[in-house]
Amino acid sequence: METAVEIRGLVKTFGQFRAVDGLDLTVRTGTCHGVVGPNGAGKSTTLGMTVGLITPDAGTIRLLGHEVRAARALLGVLPEGLDLPERLTGAELLRYTAGLRGLDPAVAKNRSAELIEVLGLTKGAGTPLADCSTGTRKKIGLAQALVHAPRLLVLDEPFEAVDPVSALAIRRVLQRFVAGGGTTVLSTHSMLLVEQMCDDVTVVHRGKVVAAGPVSGVAAGGTLEDRFVELVGADVVGAGSLDWLTQ
Amino acid sequence: MTPAVAVVTRTRSVSVVTQMRATMFRRALREPGPIVAAMIGLLAAGWLIVYAVRPSASTETLSILTGSWVLGWIVLPLLLGGVRGRVRPVHLRLESIPPAPAAYALLVASALGIGPAVSLIALAALPAHAARDGFGPALIAAAGALLLWLLGLTGSAIALEAVGNAAGPVGAALTGVLTGTAMGVLGSVWAVAPWAGLLLITGPPASVTAVLRWTPGFWPLDATAILLLPLALLVGAAFLAYASLVRRVLTGAARPRSRRPAPASPAHPAPAAPGRVTGSPGAATGSPGGATGSPGGATGLPGGATGSPGAVTASPARAATASAGDFARGPIAGVLGRERHTWIRHPLRLQYLAFALVYGVLLATLPMLSDVDLLAPWAGVLVALWAATMAASLVALDGTALWLPLTAPRGERSEVLGRAFAWLLLVAPAGILLTVLGILITPDANTAGVFAAVAVLPAVLGAGSAVPVWISVSRVRPVTDPRHPTAADNPTDIVSVLLVLLALVVTSAPAFSLSVWGPPWSRWPAVAVGLLCGFAAWRAAAWAATERLTRRGTEVLAAAAQTTALPTAQIPLTWDTEWARTHKITLGALALLTLGWIPVVPQGLMVLVFDIKGAWILASHLTGTAQTATALSMLALGGTLLLTGLLLWDRREPA
Repeated sequence: METAVEIRGLVKTFGQFRAVDGLDLTVRTGTCHGVVGPNGAGKSTTLGMTVGLITPDAGTIRLLGHEVRAARALLGVLPEGLDLPERLTGAELLRYTAGLRGLDPAVAKNRSAELIEVLGLTKGAGTPLADCSTGTRKKIGLAQALVHAPRLLVLDEPFEAVDPVSALAIRRVLQRFVAGGGTTVLSTHSMLLVEQMCDDVTVVHRGKVVAAGPVSGVAAGGTLEDRFVELVGADVVGAGSLDWLTQ
Repeated sequence: MTPAVAVVTRTRSVSVVTQMRATMFRRALREPGPIVAAMIGLLAAGWLIVYAVRPSASTETLSILTGSWVLGWIVLPLLLGGVRGRVRPVHLRLESIPPAPAAYALLVASALGIGPAVSLIALAALPAHAARDGFGPALIAAAGALLLWLLGLTGSAIALEAVGNAAGPVGAALTGVLTGTAMGVLGSVWAVAPWAGLLLITGPPASVTAVLRWTPGFWPLDATAILLLPLALLVGAAFLAYASLVRRVLTGAARPRSRRPAPASPAHPAPAAPGRVTGSPGAATGSPGGATGSPGGATGLPGGATGSPGAVTASPARAATASAGDFARGPIAGVLGRERHTWIRHPLRLQYLAFALVYGVLLATLPMLSDVDLLAPWAGVLVALWAATMAASLVALDGTALWLPLTAPRGERSEVLGRAFAWLLLVAPAGILLTVLGILITPDANTAGVFAAVAVLPAVLGAGSAVPVWISVSRVRPVTDPRHPTAADNPTDIVSVLLVLLALVVTSAPAFSLSVWGPPWSRWPAVAVGLLCGFAAWRAAAWAATERLTRRGTEVLAAAAQTTALPTAQIPLTWDTEWARTHKITLGALALLTLGWIPVVPQGLMVLVFDIKGAWILASHLTGTAQTATALSMLALGGTLLLTGLLLWDRREPA
């Protein structure tokens, strides 16, 4: 099986803080790959560098056999926490993103209408993005990432703040995408989601990979959540008494 | 609530809110802006009092001046970002303060500031003027002045709450018109001055005086105590209006970001009346319904929408069934379409457009009051010039949305060209139309001047479309909240504005010089030169901006995301050798920003504008062209020093 994402020796430092520290990551083509890690582990920075939105200090990145810039046409991106053209409605964003990607208007029209329907955006797509809820923004962001039929999707926390019904719709879209030969890399905090959706998982901690491989292999016979806590060596907080809360 | 409890609640609220305001005010005083504003305000207030006590002072004129002062107090904070540093009703939304005490406390707290203090001093002009008629009229005027002050205080609070925040595009466009008018009048003060002089010396004409007697500004000077009653009623009505606004915010009845209530449907039930615990207006998180998770939508509103003031909302049906013709043909058309929509919907962009249009037109036409029609054909050029300078920080205004073109094939080029074409499509028709109108209304205008305007217009339009894009990706000034910007979030950066202005002047110079100082046959060729220069500037700036985005796109994006300013060093009030050693850039910037004014004002403007001479003024020792050239050189030297100072100030050492 070919490699969709190949990252070697990736390093990024912000001031004194080493966010990513010699990270290696391999994603097989035609798989769904989860990237998990505690807050501040370097997941978003890694994905940002992967799609060319952050310049790495060191390391190499190849996407579907190309340099990042050359792979743009094959790439669909959903970053976390970045703005959208806020005065546009979701439908308008799809219209102009399709144009930006050089799509034929007739093709773009059909795809946009289908994405809007499948993702349950029939009403939300008519609202200015500045006024959409986080969940609606995520779905519109996913639609713009898909409209040009990419071969590799890089999604930073696509399920954050998304309600269960929408999450199910997104999962189905992503599963269909992967079944059609596409590759998805997504970061998430939900181990359950990784177990349900992903073929492989990479656990990142303090900017380094602490485990990687098939989900069942990383889980090592237990649940991924237990294995994750063990791998990142976290003390489970919240066990204190807090007696005053019950008074 | 018993009366005693009500009094305690009110007192406690006032105390807490005033302390909040005092802290914000103290922090605001660390910046030079409020100090400068206070000094200018005190000078104006002092002049008003001096005018009021002059025996020749006209009562009617004074009433116009004080009325205008109160009106300015209500309007100016809208223009100058008065929402910032103010305790607002939304800040008390999660507190258990009832609406009426909250409104009272907010008003008391808002009295703590430079505007209210300076206005109180300025309105002292009323009793000072009335004192010439005795103690009784002075007492009535003093009471009236106090009521006018309360009216200004409450009116300002209402304006900021109702227009500055809630009205979005409407408030922004109004702000642009008002700022443009103020700047236009100031810029043409020489033409307006004779009219103003007439008003100050002889007073307004009888027709105006008759109307004046019906305006609140006149009532304190009428020496009739009964006229204080309608003034007091106005203050009471203003307080009730403000209390109503506060109540709407505190109880969640107001949805300041929502203009079009969403219809409820079985599939998307409307949310229960949002309580005060759920969310704040404008916040992306915690908006009402944000946690309800209705079927098919993340929020309680259909599609998860939270509404927007002034934003054009496409109908859901149309959103899904747009025709293929609505879709962009190609990458540049994609960006162009996005920009076209954004220009007509974004509050700050609307403000910039309104400002450019009003300022340009007034600068060109107000001199006609003094029978000077020289500038009328330049209306289009001036509008294009200001529209370009106001676009100097446009990329940052969109927050981090730049990531979209940075992930598309050749997206950088499309982004730059799409933005440039959108500006051109928006401004060029207005520029051409105003130039033609300007020429038509001044048939006797100087021919060389008309040709110069026609020749310069394409140069300004060409450079104006692309240079601001280049500057705005080179000097990124992020906004705090790109999703819901208000006039207070205006990121316009003076250095960027000056750089755009300089580029446009340089681009226009060949065409202008040829048409004004060239031989008569060179007038038509000057138009061709203007076109060529505009095209060259457009190509050069578009190339530079594309290069910048291609090579440093990630840096531009990171700068746009840096919404919290790094703390900067505080300047010691006394000489500190150690501080000076470790803050050389700050020190250099301060020195240049101080010294730069000497060549600009005394050595340059005083000679050029006021023809003032003195032994220490270099140009006054020369005559004719040599004198003008020396004064202009001084002006250029001072301008360079000040610009360098501003650039250094941007790079001053962190705390």
